[in-house]
Formats: sequence, C-alpha cells, structure tokens
Amino acid sequence: MINPLLELKEVSYKNKNNFTLDNVSLRIKSGEKIALLGKSGAGKTTLISILNGTLKPNKGRVKLFNTEFDKLNLYQKSKISTIWQDLRLIEDLSAEQNVNCGLLGKQSFLFAFKNLLNISSFNKAHQYMQVCNLKKSIFSKNIRKISGGQKQRVAIARSLIQDSEILLADEPFNNLDPKLTSNIKNLLLITKNKNKIKVPKTTLISLHRLDLLDGFNRIIGMKNGEILFDIEKTKLKKFHLNKIY
Amino acid sequence: MNKLKLNSSSITFLPILVCIPITYELFINFHIGGIELFREFIISALNPKINNEIIFTLVKRLNETVFIAFSSWLISMMFGVILGILSSEIFYKIINLPKFLKRFLNLFLTFIRSIHEIIWGLVLMQIYGINFSIGVIAICIPYIAINAKVFSEQIENINLKTVESIKQINGNKSSTLISLVWTPVIKTFKNFGLYRLECAIRSTAVLGLFGVGGIGTSIFLSFQTLNFRELWTYLWGLAFLIIISKELLNKFNLSYSSKKFLTLFVIALFCISLFSLSFFVYFIFYKNAIPFNSINNLLISNLNFISYDFLKLLLETIVLCLLSTGIAISFPPFFILFFNNKIGITIIRIISFLFRLIPPPLLILLLLMFNDPSISLAAITLGLHNAAITSKLLLANLHNQDNTQYIAMKSLGVSKRSSWLFGLFVKQANSYLAYCAYRSDIIIRETAILGVIGSVGLGWQLQESLSSFAWKEVLVILIAYSSIAIIGELINDKIKSNLT
Repeated sequence: MINPLLELKEVSYKNKNNFTLDNVSLRIKSGEKIALLGKSGAGKTTLISILNGTLKPNKGRVKLFNTEFDKLNLYQKSKISTIWQDLRLIEDLSAEQNVNCGLLGKQSFLFAFKNLLNISSFNKAHQYMQVCNLKKSIFSKNIRKISGGQKQRVAIARSLIQDSEILLADEPFNNLDPKLTSNIKNLLLITKNKNKIKVPKTTLISLHRLDLLDGFNRIIGMKNGEILFDIEKTKLKKFHLNKIY
Repeated sequence: MNKLKLNSSSITFLPILVCIPITYELFINFHIGGIELFREFIISALNPKINNEIIFTLVKRLNETVFIAFSSWLISMMFGVILGILSSEIFYKIINLPKFLKRFLNLFLTFIRSIHEIIWGLVLMQIYGINFSIGVIAICIPYIAINAKVFSEQIENINLKTVESIKQINGNKSSTLISLVWTPVIKTFKNFGLYRLECAIRSTAVLGLFGVGGIGTSIFLSFQTLNFRELWTYLWGLAFLIIISKELLNKFNLSYSSKKFLTLFVIALFCISLFSLSFFVYFIFYKNAIPFNSINNLLISNLNFISYDFLKLLLETIVLCLLSTGIAISFPPFFILFFNNKIGITIIRIISFLFRLIPPPLLILLLLMFNDPSISLAAITLGLHNAAITSKLLLANLHNQDNTQYIAMKSLGVSKRSSWLFGLFVKQANSYLAYCAYRSDIIIRETAILGVIGSVGLGWQLQESLSSFAWKEVLVILIAYSSIAIIGELINDKIKSNLT
C-alpha cells in the first residue's frame, strides 16, 4: 500500500464557539486532485487549518510524509502551501513583496530583510504573478490599492511560489470573474510545467460552485463537521450532493 | 426634573471648574514684588540681546542641544523598536518563549516609563556628576520605554490571521517575524518617531535648566542673573531650532521606495545602537560613582518620612495632577469657543506657541515673581503648558475637519458659537478627550519638574533627598511617583478604550 502524503487519523476538534470536527479520517495521496464540498459552516476551513498545521486537533493524529506533524522540521512543513479564504496578505507591502514572502521557507533572513527594503530580486515573483494573470502595472502597487480579484491572484501566486508538494486552497475562486476562474483553476489542477512554473502535484480545494468540478479526481463532501462522502469524481451522483446541500 | 446626562462635549468643558479653587488661591497669594521684573521680561522679548559673544554662545548651546536630543532620539528609537517587538504578543507567538518574559518586560518598561526624564537626570547627576552623557541617558531611559509601548501597540494591531498565514509558510522564525513587524514599525516611525525628535529637543532644553548642558543651561543662567534680554535671545534660538527641525522633518518624507536611503538608515541605526549599548555598559560599570558606590547605601541611609509628611506630599502631587489636567482639557475649547474669530484664533495660536516654547520650570519661576509658591501656581503652570499642546492639536483637527455641518447651521441663523460647538466641536470631542487622557499620563510624570522648582509635592522632597544623598528616601519617592503614574495610566487606558 502506498504511504499517503498527508493523513488525518480519527481527528476531532472543538473550538471556542463549540464548533466540532468529529472523528475525521482522511488520506491524501500524491497526485490527487481533491474537491472539498460543503455548505458554509460545514467545517471545510477548519479541516484545511488542521491539515496545514495551523490548528491542533484535540484528538487524533496528523501525519505528513508518514511523520507526526509536531516532529516535522520547518523545511518539511513548508511542503504544504495554503491559499486562505480571507487571503491573509501583509498590508502595506507591495504585491511583489507579498508574493516573495512565499519564498521565506526556502530563503535566509537576509532575503526577508532585502525583500522588505525592496532591494531583493523580484524576477521569480514576477514570473508567478504573470502566470496568475496579473498585469505588470500592479506588481509594485501597495496591496491596499489593488482590487479584490487582484489580491486573490497575489495570494495564489504567493502559495505557488512556495514550490510545495501539496496545495490546500480555501475557496480560491471567490473574487474572480468566470474567465479568470477558469484560467486559475486550470493552473492549479494541470501540473504540466507551464511557463517554467511548478505547480503542486497534489491539491485539495474547497469549493461552493458545482460547475467547477471538472479536472478533479476525488470529491469529499462535508456537513456539520463530518465527512459524509469521500468518493472518486466519476462516482459522484446527485444524491451525494443532496446529502450535503 | 430631567436627569443630568453628560456627553463627551460637556465633559470637555466641565473641568473649567478647577479655575475656582485655583483663582482663589492665586488671588490670596498675589503680591506685586516682582511686577517690575516681569514687565522687564515681557519687554525684553521684543529686544533680545544680540552681539558676537551671545551669538557664539547661542550657536554652541544649540549644537549641544541638537547633539543631546539627536543622540537620545536615535538610541531611544532603536531600542524602542527592539523592546517594542520583544514586548508584543506576536513575538511570543512566533518565537516560542515563555510568556512570563513578556509580562516581566512590560512591568519593567512600565516602571521606567513612569518616571520623568528630569527625575532620571537628577538622580544620575547626583550619582555620576554633570556631563553630556547624563542628558542622553536620562532622556533615553523613559523614551525607550515610551517608544517601546507605542511600537508594541502598533505591532499588536497586525491581524492574527496574517501571522498564521506567514507562519504557515514555515520560513525561519526571524524571517517570519521581520516580515510581519516591518510595516507597522516603519509606519509608526513615520507617524510618531519624527515627532519624538521634537519632544527630545524640548526635553533636552528642560534638562538643561537643571545643568545638563545645552540651551536650557544658558536660559537658566540668564534667568538667575535676571538678564532677560540674553534670556530671550536663547528662547528665540530654541524656538528657531524647534521650528526648523519641524520643517525639516515635514520635508523628510520617508517612502518605501527610497531603497538606498532606508538601507543605509537601518545599518546606521544598528551600528549606533551597538555603540550606544557598549557605551552605556562602560558608563554604568567603569565611571566613578562616588556617592553611590554600593547598593548598601540604599539600606543604611535613613528613612525619615514621617517628619517630611510624606502622605501630604503624595496627596499634593495627586491634586496637582488633577488640577493641571483640568486646565489642559478645558482651556482650549473654552477659549476657542469665546474668541472664535480670525484675530482671536491667531492670538490663541501665538500664546499657545509661547507657552509651549517656555519650559515649565522657567514659566513657574516667572509666575513666582508675583505669587507665592502653591499647588495652584504649579497647577496653572503645568496646565497652561499642556493646554498649549492640546490646543495645537485641537485647532489642527478642527481645521482639517469637514465643515459642511457648521456652514449648514450658520445658514439656518444659528449663532457662530453655537454652530462651532454643535457643527464642529461635537465631532472632535471624543478624539480630543482620548488625546487628553494620553496627555494626562504625561502631566502626571511632569508634576515632578514643577515639584522640584515650585516647592510642591513629591518633586520638592526628591530634590531634598537627593541633595542629602538619602538614597532610601529617593527610592521610596521614585516608587511613589511610579505608582501614581502607573495607576493614572491604567485609569487613562480605560478612559481611552471607552472613548475610541
């Protein structure tokens, strides 16, 4: 049996508002393209936060590369990248500086310092920004001064530049128009080296829109903190969706 | 009968009532002994002494002032940033250190911040003698803690979700930390740091009055010899320095794109900080400190507070704080309301500039020419100096405010004063009161200066205890001062959080 890249084993989580994730188990293997479906409040964001190690479960185990999350070093942890629903960019930095922050896991302190002083190289950041359909004119703009859709793509470029093995994305198409949604979805799901850009082979994306399920090979449905189904895309039927919506 | 309901605007005017006891005490203590001298002082303002010798001394003293102020500003900024980061929640979220260190650091900073630079100056002068370094260190100690508090507050405003997202990139901890704190630090430096340089110049001038050097020392010597024309030359020199430095700072628009400048600036700050730290260590451990050669002095010196009526002095200090704060809050809106025309506002601006310019110790010495020392005299001095500062802020905010409501009210036939009150001031009242709450923190600390000169409260006792090297008493007074300041700060923080 192939070892999963990322594994949750009987994980339970309870937050201050008494929201619970109940006894969730999940194995994510290399190369999988997973769509995570569920209504607002179903627990998708909590699940993603546990998968990337931001939240610690009250019960159960999280393993990455078959190693307990707590025992991983920073380099191993940096193999997971996340696109957050609320983007979480650093305000007052420019778009390119924000994208360069994605390289912090692989670069020294000097790089971080030069990035803040605006004297580091932005070539790589620009390459990723261009692939994310960002125009040159916004590269050096303050993050406060660009639109919601542009911010969304900056956040996507920041996570891609991380050169991770697993990409977790929490509703990454929220602020994008249909054309951009299609472009970005293709970018995240098609792993061929386009414009010399490496995209993570393994992806888990939480979604609201069912018309975006093309290109995924596995669908997970969540409701009230529980996984109600976890099936191959080809086996998805209407009654599955009725269960969660 | 309707129940009395106070709002921010009425609370702003209410403290004017402190004028009743103050006026009464000033009236019964009034004498005309120094009226002639005061007249001479006023006339000399328009006829300062100008000759080669005075100009040479003025330039020399201004150089000293700039040196002390700039050095202390630079050092306090750098250490303020470092300690601000170390005392912020985010630092402990990124670098996994025990949180008791944060609490301990905050407590330490609160203590050193609560004691005014003048007190630090007096204590250090008594231990180490008079020299430039005393001025720099005395200003640096509270300034570092004040700056650290401001930087820390701004860093705490970073969205915790952003912290999580950058942490999740899993870069090394120092890279993560610097990436997160950089923008709030630079922003605070731009908005607050440059203003602190102006504060450092003022503090240097006041410390100079106590003999540290710089323009303050010349001002004090001229006053002692009643050479008012010479005194005004130095005062105008100080005004020139403040105005020039302010203009230069306004021109100094630090932008994120000025890469080379920023790089050089950061490297320079780092080098200066390292140098200053080593100098500080040298100063503390290798300089001769004859009167204070061991901690035993604290234990063996006498503590004879009952005879000094310590509690009475403590109470006087608290009353002085309250009266001065009352004046600082209520005078600006009161006078702007009653002299609300172009000439009136210009006169208010000129008078408040003069009250800001003349250091409070000098102001109280002038007022002592025709009044006996009392709490009211100290309160009016401290109150007027601070009212000059709050009025500057209020006038600037009123000027920048949208005045459509004011115009609308005037067009309805409402009187100019009522239109100003309900159309302009009402909108400002909350933020003005919040600033006054912050100002009262400073007033509490400043009571020490007035105490030393005006024979009121703990400041006077501190001077006495220092002169007799009664270190145990000095320590108790410092603790008392610090306690008043910390309690005041806690109350003011509560008020500020309710207002904003």
